[in-house]
Amino acid sequence: MTMGTNYFTRYRHIAPLAVLRIAFGAVLFFSSIRFIAHGWVRDFYIRPAFHFPFFGFEWLSPFNAAGMYTLYTIMAVAALFICIGFFYRIAAPVFFLCFCYAELLDKTYYLNHYYLVTICSFLLMLVPAHRYCSVDTWRKPSLKVTQVPSWTILVFKYQLTLIYCCAGLSKLTWDWLFRAMPLRIWLPANASIPLIGPLLRHEWVAYLFSWCGALFDLSIAFLLLNKTTRRPAYLLVIVFHILTAVLFQIGMFPYLMMSATLIFFSEGFHRQVLQKARTFVMHQPVRTEMEQRLYIPLRRQQRIFVLLGIYFLLQLVTPFRFMLYPGRLLWTEEGYRFSWRVMLMEKSGVAFFYVKNPATGRKFEVNNAEFLTGYQERMMETQPDMMLQYAHILAQQYRKQGIVNPEVTVESYVTLNGNGSRLYIDSTVNLALEKETWFGHKAWILPLNNQSTRP
Amino acid sequence: MKRIVLLLSAGFTVLFLSISFSCSKSNSGGGDTPKATGPDSTLINLGTNIIIPSYQKLASSASALDAAVIAFNALPSSTSLASVQAAFKDAYKSWEACSGFEFGPASDLSLTTHFTNSFPTDTTIIKANIAGTPYVIDALANYPAQGFPAMDFLLFANGNDASLARFNTDANAVGAHLYLAALSASLKTKTAAVSAAWAVSGGNYYTKFINATGVDAGSSLSQLVNSYVLDFDVNLQNYKIGIPIGLYGPSVLPKAPTKVEGYYSGLSVQLLLAQVQSMQNIYLGGSGPGIDDKVAATKALYNGGSLDLAIQNEMTTLLAKIQALPDPLSTGIQNNSTAITDCYTEVRKLTVLLKADMTSALGIKISFADDDGD
Repeated sequence: MTMGTNYFTRYRHIAPLAVLRIAFGAVLFFSSIRFIAHGWVRDFYIRPAFHFPFFGFEWLSPFNAAGMYTLYTIMAVAALFICIGFFYRIAAPVFFLCFCYAELLDKTYYLNHYYLVTICSFLLMLVPAHRYCSVDTWRKPSLKVTQVPSWTILVFKYQLTLIYCCAGLSKLTWDWLFRAMPLRIWLPANASIPLIGPLLRHEWVAYLFSWCGALFDLSIAFLLLNKTTRRPAYLLVIVFHILTAVLFQIGMFPYLMMSATLIFFSEGFHRQVLQKARTFVMHQPVRTEMEQRLYIPLRRQQRIFVLLGIYFLLQLVTPFRFMLYPGRLLWTEEGYRFSWRVMLMEKSGVAFFYVKNPATGRKFEVNNAEFLTGYQERMMETQPDMMLQYAHILAQQYRKQGIVNPEVTVESYVTLNGNGSRLYIDSTVNLALEKETWFGHKAWILPLNNQSTRP
Repeated sequence: MKRIVLLLSAGFTVLFLSISFSCSKSNSGGGDTPKATGPDSTLINLGTNIIIPSYQKLASSASALDAAVIAFNALPSSTSLASVQAAFKDAYKSWEACSGFEFGPASDLSLTTHFTNSFPTDTTIIKANIAGTPYVIDALANYPAQGFPAMDFLLFANGNDASLARFNTDANAVGAHLYLAALSASLKTKTAAVSAAWAVSGGNYYTKFINATGVDAGSSLSQLVNSYVLDFDVNLQNYKIGIPIGLYGPSVLPKAPTKVEGYYSGLSVQLLLAQVQSMQNIYLGGSGPGIDDKVAATKALYNGGSLDLAIQNEMTTLLAKIQALPDPLSTGIQNNSTAITDCYTEVRKLTVLLKADMTSALGIKISFADDDGD
């Protein structure tokens, strides 16, 4: 047994894990209910005629309406079960699988915070978070333990540290630091909110927010790890995320981060929280609890370490895969997803698709609204891999209508961070013939500095 | 048991905290409780000097049209036909100044392009309705047989003699009278209702409009810009020009000159002009603060110059191209007029400027559905 492994296998109190399970499960539960209540199951999975599955998952397709609502209901119930720790060993994988399935169906709806949910529910699946303060231990007291190997808690700390650091590093760009983009566009739009509103009109405030945001992301994990700075750091977490919740339309992300970062607190803190809650509810002092260690065979733990080692290596490498591609990342979006790049760009575009019948030479324009929802159209208009998928959808549809080898081209204009719209895709390339690849570069994306600005 | 209670209550505390945070967000999404309180001079000016007067003018011209229809129905003659036709043209042009406001009262009260201006109108349904098929004028399924395009057909199709015959000697003349009256009465009622809903003395949507500041999904600026861009991108670019000139059809004979707006009255070019003029007016805010001031304030650039100027110039260019169009448009399409393709190119340029650059500069999402970002 080496010192290194000792650090991961020594026993720690389980309280932080239990609090994380309760808090995160509650946010997931609310998030699923909110998703259904907003009508997004219908708008995102039932109404659209076509979808944009992730590469390698084209064989997935949504269930019918009843199926999709059932899926989301199962997700909500599983999240609630995670929260209360009820049949946790089943609920956690069920939630993870349902969530992954829904996410893989259509990349239109990809958000960093859904990726965060995927990752945290994956990690929750691996840890014994239900063995304290849960219905499972009440149901079956023999399950209860008070001490768990420290790695079960550390994985969450490492994961969050990684997320904040990557988010921080991705902000170290010219646009973010020296043009205050895109905050310079987004902040003044909030100029009429109470108190801080009037300040947001000023350009220096956008610079201040940009620099503070980058600094926050880069340092917060270390401030949370450090015992002396932890409490003020968490206060900072709350202020920062509440501020983003007020200023931007980013849904549940702030609450997910606020609940997840609770894990950084000491076990003493978490035990106190749970004990105070218990005293408050039961009106009786807490009995001193017996120390009960969770025994996991060393062999098994070592196997888990190998798995987690590979996992974290991938986590570490994935955000930097963009370096393999030529061109500006935010423009080409090659290697953009799964990289914790949050709030980095104001990007929008217009895409006019054309289909040409090679037999007659007739070229006509496509009304995108006939095939896609407004949301899908908007996301497709700035993301090359989605344009390619859409071109294939069009080719397939017009093949059905009797056109042999339809040629699909696009005239697309995109503006990134206030740079003025310009031609995005080589409008002479027949996208019907282009193929998606795992990590290949799409040579038909024009460089950001091209001068073709006019239709 | 008590532990379950404990756990549940802890869980739900978090839940309710989240709800209360999130509600302050999503309410502004629904437009019920504006989240912000500060004044926005652009919204005030657009509401006071452009939107409300445009609806007032539409309501009064629709009322005049209804009166003219009643007079015409009482005594169909070439004189009364001329006066109802004139009232129709006036009301139709007033509509073009309001078609970009498809949110709030207009969408609540169905004074939308879908119900008011779906063209080409479905003459089969109109003829059946006149011939005695029971109908409800504002019914969902009756949308392609109502609004201005249906009146366009009844009042203008095949020339004045045919129009008079439709109301005098035709076997279904009585049905035609009733249908025409139902069409104009519906327009009169709807436009009056929307105008009243906006008015401070009426439904006072105006106050809600000027208070829903910011650029979230439910903010007034986001709703206005979304509706405005959609009106240009879809209604003008696709329906008024793109489809009639045959851009969208994979078939051999794609041109469809009968699919222009105001086909029977030959009003197409005048209506295009009216729409783009009103779009320019909304953008500039008349003589007060408009969307242009917001775009200028962002200092957004386009092609090395100011985005605001680029948009203004493109609007001017487009207006000139529309004025140079062959009138009526349907004839021009049959004659393969290059002026139309020239005009379409400019429409295209303005679409890119409005839909990509302008919305991006303002931080507004073109979505037509609310969602989360990150």
